[in-house]
Amino acid sequence: MTSAQLRRAAWAAGAVILAGIAILTADWVIASIRAPRDDRTVKALQQKVKEDPAVSAKLDAEQKRITDARRARRIRDRAVGWTLIACSAIFLGAVKRLIARSAPKAVEMSRIAAPISTGKKRKRKRKTCCGAHAHDPAAALDLGFVDEAVAQHGRGREAAIPLLQAIQQHYRYLPDEAMRRLCEITDITPAEIAGTSSFYGQFRSTPVGKHIVRVCHGTACHVAGARQISDELRRRLKIPEGFDTDADRMFTLEEVACLGCCSLAPVLMVDEHTAGRLTPATAAAALEEVEEKEPA
Amino acid sequence: MSDAVSRRELLSKLVRGSVLAGMGGAALFLVKKANGEIVWQVDASRCVNSRLGEVGVEACTLCTSECVVSLSAVRAVNDFSKCGRCNVCPAYFDITSAVNELGLPSQKLCPRDAITRKMIGAADPEDPANNFYEYVIDEEKCDGCGRCVMKCKAPLGLGSITLKVRYNKCLDCNRCAISLSCPKDAVTQVPKMAGLEIKLAEHTE
Amino acid sequence: MPRALRALSVVVLLLAAAAALCAQAIEYSRPVETAPQQETIGGGYKTPAVQKPLPRGWWLDILDVVLLCAAMGASVWIVIKRRKRRWLVGLSIASLAYFGFYREGCICPIGSIQNVVVALADPKYSIPMVAIAVFFMPLVVAVFFGRAFCGGVCPLGAMQELVVIKPLRVPKRLDQGLGLLKYVYLALAILFALKPALTRDFLICRFDPFVGFFRFTGAPYMLATGGVFLIGGMFIGRPYCRYLCPYGGLLSWCSRLARKGVTITPDKELDCGLCTEACPYGAIDQMRAVGRKCLYCARCYASCPCDGELAQAKKALVGIGGAQ
Repeated sequence: MTSAQLRRAAWAAGAVILAGIAILTADWVIASIRAPRDDRTVKALQQKVKEDPAVSAKLDAEQKRITDARRARRIRDRAVGWTLIACSAIFLGAVKRLIARSAPKAVEMSRIAAPISTGKKRKRKRKTCCGAHAHDPAAALDLGFVDEAVAQHGRGREAAIPLLQAIQQHYRYLPDEAMRRLCEITDITPAEIAGTSSFYGQFRSTPVGKHIVRVCHGTACHVAGARQISDELRRRLKIPEGFDTDADRMFTLEEVACLGCCSLAPVLMVDEHTAGRLTPATAAAALEEVEEKEPA
Repeated sequence: MSDAVSRRELLSKLVRGSVLAGMGGAALFLVKKANGEIVWQVDASRCVNSRLGEVGVEACTLCTSECVVSLSAVRAVNDFSKCGRCNVCPAYFDITSAVNELGLPSQKLCPRDAITRKMIGAADPEDPANNFYEYVIDEEKCDGCGRCVMKCKAPLGLGSITLKVRYNKCLDCNRCAISLSCPKDAVTQVPKMAGLEIKLAEHTE
Repeated sequence: MPRALRALSVVVLLLAAAAALCAQAIEYSRPVETAPQQETIGGGYKTPAVQKPLPRGWWLDILDVVLLCAAMGASVWIVIKRRKRRWLVGLSIASLAYFGFYREGCICPIGSIQNVVVALADPKYSIPMVAIAVFFMPLVVAVFFGRAFCGGVCPLGAMQELVVIKPLRVPKRLDQGLGLLKYVYLALAILFALKPALTRDFLICRFDPFVGFFRFTGAPYMLATGGVFLIGGMFIGRPYCRYLCPYGGLLSWCSRLARKGVTITPDKELDCGLCTEACPYGAIDQMRAVGRKCLYCARCYASCPCDGELAQAKKALVGIGGAQ
């Protein structure tokens, strides 16, 4: 069952449930309005029959109608009841499945995953020192942003981290040219910049792909075969040993310790989207999906 | 440390043992008191519809409207050994209705047409009054409204029809919903076997 | 006697004819004084037996009790030994079908509280054996294993269990405060059951929100309340069980003594907190299951990356692949 089918089933079942409840309520309202009125008519007719026997057929018909209506209502209500039960089963089944599928994409999941994955210094450092391939040919970097950032954050040593963060956010990594420019126009020394940027896991000095793929290598995912996922992705993206970004600069592959959703193991995140319960094939498919969505 | 743990173990064992013993004691006490199953029953001598002296009153239909079972768990039962098998049965016919060409009332009393009228033996056209009729109440149709019960009693009938609980439908609620609203407290709990016996109205006031 | 009968009937007929003439209802008088018996009627007529629907057979009552026992056993086995959520869902559906829709909500340990109270207080009240068994068995199980009855057995619980879609976390204070309601309800139910026979009322049965669904009928306001509970139950896990069920109060007292129960395996855990996230009833406190709140739904196992069906399946897969 695809998600679209499930969603359709849930909507249909929900609509039937609402209709069923409406029928039951309407039935009850109509019956409780009609009952006293019917009683009165029958009593009046019974009185009349004593004087005029011709009315008796009418009374007969009236009583038959009331009885039939009551019996029909009972049968109808029972049928509606069973339909309601069946439809709620369908509705609940579909909705639960949908929620189970969408859970990894939910905001809270990325909330859990984000700080953990960015906080892993060890992994990042390893990449920082070995990720020198694929040098940026577009050397003509617009350095105007560095000046803007300095104007905003100040020139002192204390502004180093906010500056680096702003620069990284803008260029998505810390380009050498930008660092040089930074040293020129601020009081921060090149040694301080190198020290700071290499100490914190959040900074990277090599260009990154358009999308960051974080493959979880936590205990649960490791047990569930995260190694195979990583290897498969490397093979597909043709990333050589010792590098983390593919030649097109589309994806940067990272191995992180835990994304915090072990129940979905093995799991990976493409930017803010999580895909879980992977096999090597579905992992590659997840990346392709992102690629296809690309407006390019 | 291990001492403390074992002491705690012992304590919890003791508490558990005493709780179990307490429950066992209570259960035993109750089992001793439990004297068989009880069922709900409509007491014919109290029921407004069947007790003598209440004539010309509208039948009480609470047994139909109050019961939690969809078709009421109370129904009318005809005790054939007491039935007069009348030609014009006041419970079958609405004897206030106009008389038709056969000389019988044109209306039936039962709003659900649950009673069938069947001639016993061969018809005697010369003397229709000598014919006997068997009146059988259809269990599936009757919803225990009690209209026939109201009519089938002195002075009109012999009081062979009474309201009975159908025990295959009755859910044995802790507090029967009918008994809550019964004006004469005619729905009472009795031992199972007593509930099965058919009881006719003897009570007058 | 036939002669008298005949005479009377003739009178009736005459009266009827007269009535017909003036288009009036007949004047009715009783045609017979005593019922004609089969000898009088003759013609080989046999008086038919009175229709008597018999009560359910005693063995069906015993079957109910046996099934209740079996269901609780299955619940304990599935949750403590097998740790399988799927099986428990199956058990819930089966219990809902039998104890709920087939038996229409009776037999019910929740309601039997009142029977037991009345039987203890009123010497004349005769309590059915089934009620005694049904009242004590879940409590005994609770003393050893926790609230296994609440898990896959209780039809009211099963109904709410199946509708939980996206449970929200109830703030702890609020949860505790609302949890006291059930003791108030229990006290009220006992009070009303202790009243003298005629004014006695069985509150728990009268205000049971779900029994109307099992019977396809009921007071409209109770059906509406049940609907509200079910819709609320989609977002707040089992509101009736946690905040109102008086039997749940008794069970949670008993389950304090339980040594076995739902456990979060301490030797395997990752401290990932997924079980706490998964528990809709707030019964996992600081990574440990709280026995008196735990309703035996096995969701924590289903969500566990180290234990439970998911991990078992994954382990099997990795084993086949021969990886690592």
